[in-house]
Amino acid sequence: MVLAQILLNGILLGGLYGLMALGMALVWGVLNIVNLAHGALIMLGGYVVYYLFTLGGIDPFLALPIAMVVMFCAGFALQWGLLNLVVRSKMLNTLLITFGLDVVLTFTAQLLFSADFRTINPSYAGSNFPLFGLTVPIVRLAAFGVAVALAAALWFVLNRMPLGRAIRATAQNLVAARLYGVNPRVLYAVTFGIGTALAGAAGGLYGMISNLTPYIGASLTAKSFVIAIIGGLANPFNVILGGIFVGVAESLTALYLGPTYTDVISFGLLVVVLVLRPKRAVRAA
Amino acid sequence: MMKRWTLIVAVIVAVALAFVPLVGSDTMIQFGINALLLATLAQSWNILGGFGGYVSFGNSVFYGLGTYGTAIAMTNYNLPFGVGLVVGVILAMIGAALVGLPILRLRGPYFAIATLGLNGAMMAIFSNLPIAGSNIGLVLPLTRNDTMFYELALGLLAACTLTVLWISRSRYGMGLIAIREDEDAAGTMGVNATLYKVSALILASIFTAVAGGIHAYWSTFVDPASAFDSTLNVRMVIMCVFGGPGTVFGPVIGSFVLSTVYEVLAAQISTAAALLFGFVIVLAVVFMPRGLADVVKGGKGLSWRYFIRNIRENRL
Repeated sequence: MVLAQILLNGILLGGLYGLMALGMALVWGVLNIVNLAHGALIMLGGYVVYYLFTLGGIDPFLALPIAMVVMFCAGFALQWGLLNLVVRSKMLNTLLITFGLDVVLTFTAQLLFSADFRTINPSYAGSNFPLFGLTVPIVRLAAFGVAVALAAALWFVLNRMPLGRAIRATAQNLVAARLYGVNPRVLYAVTFGIGTALAGAAGGLYGMISNLTPYIGASLTAKSFVIAIIGGLANPFNVILGGIFVGVAESLTALYLGPTYTDVISFGLLVVVLVLRPKRAVRAA
Repeated sequence: MMKRWTLIVAVIVAVALAFVPLVGSDTMIQFGINALLLATLAQSWNILGGFGGYVSFGNSVFYGLGTYGTAIAMTNYNLPFGVGLVVGVILAMIGAALVGLPILRLRGPYFAIATLGLNGAMMAIFSNLPIAGSNIGLVLPLTRNDTMFYELALGLLAACTLTVLWISRSRYGMGLIAIREDEDAAGTMGVNATLYKVSALILASIFTAVAGGIHAYWSTFVDPASAFDSTLNVRMVIMCVFGGPGTVFGPVIGSFVLSTVYEVLAAQISTAAALLFGFVIVLAVVFMPRGLADVVKGGKGLSWRYFIRNIRENRL
């Protein structure tokens, strides 16, 4: 029974992990930028929802779409004004600039929001209901639902809408897409904006389940990266499945080895996955 | 190829630096030790990162291993400092080989992100090791001799820079550069890429570990948070990239410039100093993707057009 409960918790948490990775996978797949500031953007989204809730009194789940709009604009501006300037340079340089951005965002957050732990804590935060003898926490279940819904929305946009067609065409061949009337600067900015909006939603949900501090970015980036590789960059649903895999693995580690080892395990998992799937690693290099 | 006068200037600067403890104040010597150790870290990162093109965000692990190797040898077994350093270096070399063999098969961003997790994993392991004092850490015997530590750090930086100078002129360095430019082509030309990359990481781990050992003995205290300090990765990468990755003196100049700026700023406002570091790396990538060394090489012909050209080359 304990095991079943742990598995359930892992799956619900994993859905959120998948949502975290969704934006990173999209930006990576289309723009060929591995965004090391992705975790910091998740953190920022978390703070936007936190302040909408505490200062604005808006229910956190209703604040999510607002936060997504705010983060979309931030992401659009970032790509338009800064990242578009270096997007053609070597992978080393795009890695470094997003690493620099991560530092800037982290310490700006520290100056603005202080280093205190923050939790988005609505009245129903602790409530849960029993199901087949298991306890289902409402917030986590809702977070899982939002993650799956957003993955479905992304799938719909990518596969059924003109914007999605333009994004996929650009990912396949930038020059050809340009010839067919796609403006790459705008399209890159829109894609990055969608990625940041997804990160913002993930941050809001993360703030309801765990603690927000300015320093959560780096570990969330690493986690998103692992999941993006496990799930692949092409299909949003596979990314969610990858998230569930990592969530379950972490929960089992915490149960059998102790919670201090979850970092070691997710790192170990990353190396194992990278080494076992060398084809993909070579292709993107 | 490097001009002769660059070498002469470098030697003169190094000799002049050696005499700083005779004239400088205590604060200045202590700042010097930190700056020299950081420059060593940036220079050793340069071996694989600058020449080989493999960006590692996990070299602080070798610093931590050097720190703990020295500390464990000196406190638990009462061995002298020199032996402690050797223990630290051996630990770091083993660590580099164990880490390098699997993850150096990965390329580009895969390698970089695989190294991101290293530091956290090592910190978790050392926090649970009784021989390393678990969470509490170890206290080393006290030696108040800042001049000795200063000269040690200077010697280490000189040794590291000489090694990089040798690399830049040797067949080995050419191999690393070939790997950076096109790993498949390098393989076709007979460069054993795995051997080159792993040995470059091991070479880097040696200098990084000695820097860690010196710092441990100097500060007389080691705990998981200070030994596996992830901001150290940030600093060494930024200093090297700011100065000019893949050059001999770029990382040293970059570290000295940034250490000084950081020291001046940190005296005023501490968070802003970290923030400035982030801005420096962002602006450096946009305006001078080949580093300070490339800007200086432009000499008198340098104008704002150089920076515009850099942007034009890389923008969408």
